[in-house]
Formats: sequence, structure tokens, C-alpha cells
Amino acid sequence: MKARVLIGLSALLLLASIESGARAEDVVAVVSAKSPVTSLTQSQVADIFLGKASRFPDGTQAIPIDQPEDTPVRDRFYTQVAGKSPAQVKAYWSKIIFTGRGQPPVQAANGVEVKKMIAQNPAAIGYIDSTLVDESVRVVSMK
Amino acid sequence: MTSNRMLRIAFAAALGHATLAAADDDWMSRFSFSGYGTLGVVRSSERNADYLVDQFKPTGPGFTHEWSPDVDSRLAGQMTLKVSQSLTGVVQVIVQQRYDDTYKPEVEWANLKYDITPDLSVRAGRTVLPVFMVTDSRKVGYANPWVRPPVEVYGLVPLTHSDGIDGSFRWPIGAFNNTFQATYGRADIKFPLPVSGGVGDAKVRDILALVDTLEHGFLTLRLNYGQAKLTIDAFDPLFNAFRQFGPAGASIADRFELKDRRAEFVGAGVGYDPGAWFAIAEWAQFDTHSVVGKRSAWYVSGGARLGALTPYATYSRVKVDSATSDPGLPLAGLPPQLAQTVAILNGALNAQLSFVPAQTTWSAGVRWDAWRSVALKAQYDHVRRDQGTNGTFGNIQPGFQPGGSANIFSVAADFVF
Repeated sequence: MKARVLIGLSALLLLASIESGARAEDVVAVVSAKSPVTSLTQSQVADIFLGKASRFPDGTQAIPIDQPEDTPVRDRFYTQVAGKSPAQVKAYWSKIIFTGRGQPPVQAANGVEVKKMIAQNPAAIGYIDSTLVDESVRVVSMK
Repeated sequence: MTSNRMLRIAFAAALGHATLAAADDDWMSRFSFSGYGTLGVVRSSERNADYLVDQFKPTGPGFTHEWSPDVDSRLAGQMTLKVSQSLTGVVQVIVQQRYDDTYKPEVEWANLKYDITPDLSVRAGRTVLPVFMVTDSRKVGYANPWVRPPVEVYGLVPLTHSDGIDGSFRWPIGAFNNTFQATYGRADIKFPLPVSGGVGDAKVRDILALVDTLEHGFLTLRLNYGQAKLTIDAFDPLFNAFRQFGPAGASIADRFELKDRRAEFVGAGVGYDPGAWFAIAEWAQFDTHSVVGKRSAWYVSGGARLGALTPYATYSRVKVDSATSDPGLPLAGLPPQLAQTVAILNGALNAQLSFVPAQTTWSAGVRWDAWRSVALKAQYDHVRRDQGTNGTFGNIQPGFQPGGSANIFSVAADFVF
């Protein structure tokens, strides 16, 4: 009886993981054109935005810049790099905030503001719609 | 949490060096207020006892209430003050059912945090006592998939905060982010006495808790060890009485009494959460080296995220690893009147030893992220008490059968603001 329940449960989980295979590709992580960072893994990017890592792999400080809640670019970004829905991201931060352990990343009003802030700070990392990419920022290739 | 936005915008501005001065001068922008809460009711099929989810609950669903709002309902507000870039103060006040069945507000955390580097911080004041994987957020229903963390494991150590200091250091180990946290502190807690009634005091001193958390992508591993000196005065009359009976009585008192008794905790947990589904398992053992005994507990839980719905299932178990009875003092050779007294003492000792919450629970439930910042949940638990024990049930009434099983049904609305 127990074994059957476990098999049923794992089948359900497997089904759910197949469904999540699709991903959007029109949101890109960007850093300053002056930043030495060129490529990161998805999990490194996720760690920086979820406050689990404060540095790039080369040891330099990383300052994540978020976009407002309920924007499609933000929802796509977290789904793509962290596998988290908007509600899961909110649940994650409520965990961190209510112990005084940390605060979510600073937030820019939109993609254009993200670019402005990144242009002025080589430590910053953000994400924008790929159509907004210009010479002020460098797209981080994600493995 | 929306009021955080002002703060974040101020930081964003400061980061961009645009309006640094303006943001710095505005003290109000350094404050942020946020909160969380749960409104829930719980029903139990066992009407001759109350289902108690931890040692602080004086009443619950079953005997006292048909539908109890006291199990999960709570409201908490938190004020954060960013004194400087590296110094943060936080105060959290919580309102929930207390040991005395009132809803008086209590300070859950009040501490100052200093970030020496982004990866090394120290805190002083009242902080979370890190025991389990979701200890930090065990009361924040919105942060968890379940209506409440599995009671078998989380009931092992109901203590949630410690007054003292803690430090947290984070560094990468290979592909893993490793975080080591050490806490030193003390706590004074009050709880309803399960066997004799009334209110008990527990003094917890020299708490030392060490936690190591390894994270990589969707995987989290956690190991912890804790120890503390535990004193519960409510047991004094019993063991003082034993001490009247020579070396044999004193030896029983020495073995079982709770006076500066070193209690030890070990725990391990693993979680995997790729988003579309999650799995989490924890094991823990708590040894009080006393009349309260040694217990171990574990659970395995998993769920799938299907749009706004998260169906989940959990298996959890708590068992007793120490003896649940003791021969006590021998009656042979005692005068009849003394023999009667000793028999009563032996009986009281055995009543305490047998008061152990050993049980198994199968749970199934669903979380529905109905609106932004609000999650609705329904959960069904089938609780099977171990033979001869009351499990996590209290306020036992005539007609209650130790062992046996009960069905618990819970609904809850969790919110954050």
C-alpha cells in the first residue's frame, strides 16, 4: 500500500517535471560593458538574484537589480533561471525577510532603468528583454 | 511587503549615485514594515482529547473545540531599520495562542545585524533558533507548502528563538554555496503541563547551535547539532521526594531530573526544488538525558506545482528511543505506609515516562495560490498513535483510547504584506 502511494507520487512528480521543460528565450541577463563577467551558469545567476551568493565566480562583488513584480520579463526570468513561479519567488523572499536575514534585490522601474544602473556600476547584474540590449551592457551567456 | 518598495527605490537611487543625498537624509525611507499571518480552522475526529501541534498549545480541536481556530491562526508584524549599509535592526511581534490560552503579543525577534562583509554577519539580541530546515519560517505559512510543518519533527524542539548572539559565514565549496551558522544564547519558556495541569517553566541555558547548509542549484543539504542546559522546575517535587529514600532514590533522581541537564540535538535534511515539483526530507533526534527521554523523528514530503495548485503528500513519524517505563524503587521490605508512598512515586515517574508522543501521520493536501500574497490550503492528516501512547493528543478525557487513530482536517488562508 505504502509502495503504491510512493509510485503514484513519483509518477505525478515526473509528469510535472516534463511539463516544465519549455522555456522562454527573450529575456537575457546583462552586466556592464566594463564588467569582466562574460558567462555564468543558470544556477550562478539564480543564486545571485536569490541572495544565496554575493559574488561572481571570479570573487568580485555582485549587485543584482530586479524588475517590478507582476512584469512579464521578471516572471519569465525567474521561471527560466530558478524554475520559480512569481508566487514561489514571493514565498522564498518571505522566508528570508521574516528572519531579518536579508532583503530582496534593489528594484529598477523597468528595463531602461536597469540599463542605466548597470552602466554606472560594473558590479551590477540585471535582466532585460533582449530587444533592449545595446552597447552599454553585455549579455551574459548562460550555460 | 509593498512598503519595502520605497526602501528599494531609495537604494536603487543611491546605487545609481543619482539622488544619494536625498535618500540618505530621508530617515523614513530606512524603515520598512512587513507582516504575515494565517487564518485557519482545524477539526479532529478524536472527540475525547485535543489534537496539540506543539508543547505550547493548551487546547485544540477535538474535545475543547469542534473547529479550532487556535492551531494555525496568527498575525505578525515586522519593522526593519537599515541604520547604515551594514547595520540593520529588526523587531518582529507575533500574536498567536499562548500557553495560557490568551493572545497577548510577544516579541519573536529583536536583533541588530552587522554585516562585516556581504558573506560574514553577526547578530545580537533575540534571533531565530536554527533547528530545522524551515525553522526560520515555521510560522510563515505563506513560505511553506503545507498548512504547518510536520508536527512529529517540528514538535521535537518547539523553541523558536534564543536571546544571545549568532554569526553566519558563507563561502563557496566547489560548486556549492556553503553557509555556516553558530548561535549562542538562552531562553525562558512557559508551557502548559501535560500530566499534572498548570503552567511549567523551562530555563534553557548555554544554548549552542551549529548549522551547516550546502546549496547547489535546486539542491539543499543541511546538518545541525545543538546542545543546551535544560531546567524544568515542575519535576522537582517528584525527584525531591525520591531523594528521601536513600542512595537508591537519589540515583533515580540523578538519572531523571531536569536540573541543568545537558540536552542534545542532531538533525539532517535534504531538499530538492526545481520549481515544477519539490521533495524534502528531514531526520532529527533530541536526547534530554532525563525523564523527558530521547526521541527521534523524520518525515518525507513531496508535491507538484501545477499552475496555481500545489498538491502535496507527507509521511512523518516520531518515536521514542528511551525506556517508557522504569521499575522505580523496590517496595520489598518497606513498611506498608512507606510502600504505599513509594508506589505512588513510582507511578508518577512511570506516568511521565509513558507520556511520549509516538505516532505516524500520513498527510495529503493542496496549496492554492489564489491571489497575489494569499495562499489557500486544505490538508487532511491520518494520525496513528503508537500502541499505548497518547501521541500528540492532550486534555485526555474518559473514553480516550491510547493507540488508535484520528483524522484531522485543516483549512487555512496564509498571507504576507
